[in-house]
Amino acid sequence: MTAVQAPPRVALRRLAGMRHSSPGRLQLMLAVLLVLACLAGLVTGLTAWSAGTGTADLRDRAQPLLAEAETIQSSLADADTTAALAFLAGGLEPPALTARYDKDLADAATALTSAARRVPQDGPAGEAIRAVATGLNDYAALVATARALNRQGKPVGASYLSTASKLNRETLQPQAEILFREAGREAEAGYTNARSTWWLTLLGVLVAALVAALLVIQIRLSRSTRRTFNLPLLTASALTLLLLAGTAAVFLHQRAKLTDAVRLGSAPVETLAEMRVLVLRERADEALTLVARAGSGTLETEFKTIRGQVTFDGPELRPVGDRMSTATAQHDGYVTLHEKIRSLDDNGDYEGAVELAVGDETSTAFDQLTKTLDDASADRRAAFDGQIGSAGRGLGSLTVLGPLLALVICLFAVIGLRARLEEYR
Amino acid sequence: MKHNRLALACSAILLAGLTACTDTPASAPQAEATPSAAATSATPQPPETCDARASFRPAKGTQMPAGSYMQEIRKRGRLILGTTQDTLLFSSRDPFTGKIEGFDVDMGREIAKAIFGDPDKLEIRVVPRSNRVNAVVDEEVDLAISTMTTNCARWEQVDFSTVYFEAGQRVLVGKDSTVTKIEDLGKRPVCAATGSTSLENIGKVSTGPVPVARADFGECLVAFQLGEVDAISTDDTILAGLATQDPYAKVVGPKFTSEPYAAAVSKKHPEFTEFVNAVLEKTRSDGTWAKIYAKWLTAPAPQPPAAKYR
Repeated sequence: MTAVQAPPRVALRRLAGMRHSSPGRLQLMLAVLLVLACLAGLVTGLTAWSAGTGTADLRDRAQPLLAEAETIQSSLADADTTAALAFLAGGLEPPALTARYDKDLADAATALTSAARRVPQDGPAGEAIRAVATGLNDYAALVATARALNRQGKPVGASYLSTASKLNRETLQPQAEILFREAGREAEAGYTNARSTWWLTLLGVLVAALVAALLVIQIRLSRSTRRTFNLPLLTASALTLLLLAGTAAVFLHQRAKLTDAVRLGSAPVETLAEMRVLVLRERADEALTLVARAGSGTLETEFKTIRGQVTFDGPELRPVGDRMSTATAQHDGYVTLHEKIRSLDDNGDYEGAVELAVGDETSTAFDQLTKTLDDASADRRAAFDGQIGSAGRGLGSLTVLGPLLALVICLFAVIGLRARLEEYR
Repeated sequence: MKHNRLALACSAILLAGLTACTDTPASAPQAEATPSAAATSATPQPPETCDARASFRPAKGTQMPAGSYMQEIRKRGRLILGTTQDTLLFSSRDPFTGKIEGFDVDMGREIAKAIFGDPDKLEIRVVPRSNRVNAVVDEEVDLAISTMTTNCARWEQVDFSTVYFEAGQRVLVGKDSTVTKIEDLGKRPVCAATGSTSLENIGKVSTGPVPVARADFGECLVAFQLGEVDAISTDDTILAGLATQDPYAKVVGPKFTSEPYAAAVSKKHPEFTEFVNAVLEKTRSDGTWAKIYAKWLTAPAPQPPAAKYR
């Protein structure tokens, strides 16, 4: 009873008293080594586990979420453009455009379902997903009605289309953009978790303390005894250095790979996604300007603004430099065609302008541009997968081997000091 | 007794056309007030400060003197007409051909024919109803023929031709609706296009239907079909076009406003307004107007509205 209720002061005094006897000092040394080694082992395991799950989360959740958010955003923009082009073509919609529109909707729906599983229900991302999912049904219904009315030759079909387009541009796309930004933020948080900087700092401090303690204790022992080396403690030191080297190797590799994953994967993918959406907006503005049949208006002004923002030579895109010079040439080609379309329309040849906009020449030019961007994006996603897969290597083993190694260090510390303690019995 | 006498006094005052009767203890005066309000809303209001129907007399006929705006149009090679693309029968896009056609477009073609001898030298710019006056003022179009009512407020900004069509506002409701006139739609949402006189007129109805604005009347029909509004109220001409596209809609009630349509031209070119008037005069007298009317609306065509000049 009294031992349990002993005030800390008594314990402290007893601890202080231990310093004055040789066996007491040895016991203290052992305690310090055991505590430090156990902590270092524990924290090695935790750090490796945290970095491992962070890397896995980045690979399996955050980055795919970003890709899905991009798919949702660009599918919506593309559906809008395609529906407008099909309307412009007049009569029954060209089957190629119908197929493309259907694919856009299917892609958006698949990405939405998948993205919904990756985010918490009640966060801003979850809300954006719900808003897009609900709106997407309304949008599809409006476009379906527009088509049905178009088939019956009723001009109100055009009004259904413009109502649908307004819903897409003013509600769905902004929500998709919110989702994209949230996903970008999650990817950034994913990188932070994968780096586990705080855990790593703590681990560094602990291992350094362990190394220092081992060193100090061995120096003291060699002074107080005639033996220069205490073999078990020397082994413990070697094992600690092994732990340090192993941990350092695994984490240095992981960090380098994460940096590469950003540079070669995430950053170009994100920039490509932005460019893709901008380019799709250009085409939508072109189509909707013709649908409105009101000459160059606000949407054409928007086209010009966007054209200024489309650049394929940013530093993020350097890893796909070749593809980007192709994209630049293709974009220039498309813009030339667009200007021809505008000049036809502005000079009174509306039919000619529509024909050029819907026709093969412009469609092919634009499709080639988006295909180049798609290919570049697929290429960079593969690069990301490669880097992130490599980044996770060793972390799993370290989670198990780190603590085990620490236990072995403890064992050798006990052996090394018990031999000295025995001498006082 | 006292109340009865007061009520009597009130009715007497009302009958005398005075408005100062704040104490209304009996229901009698209120009951009388409703039909009288309906009666006033059936006449065009507010009282016109000008004669919106009167336009410039075409002194020179269809001549195009050097330096006139008509010569400028000739030089350009086409006449730019501002109109809508969702007003079936007047100017709407044929979904099969993509061409915009209707009564208003044919009127524009007559003017192009008078300038070029070729009715196809016509470029159509679609102008939303809310932007019709601005498009003419900014000279984005040479003229607007777009089921557009001539009135004094608009005369402040643009010139109008003589009246080429007489329309009046009515109501479109569902087939099974019991509504028979605009007053029956008190507190209920009724759609009209942004910037149209119809939208203002809905706001003036005594029972207080709620005006709902949409970009154009086609979008009003969308709102009606989606159940967002209970009715659409605008000119009978536009409603007829909407009703033909929806078998579950019917047009009811009397014309409760008078909407004389005229072509709008920039104030900078009064000679062009005169020229348009001359062309309109010709279509009235040589039977072209009747032919266009019969083509798009009902046959036989009625008498065209008589031209009125200042």
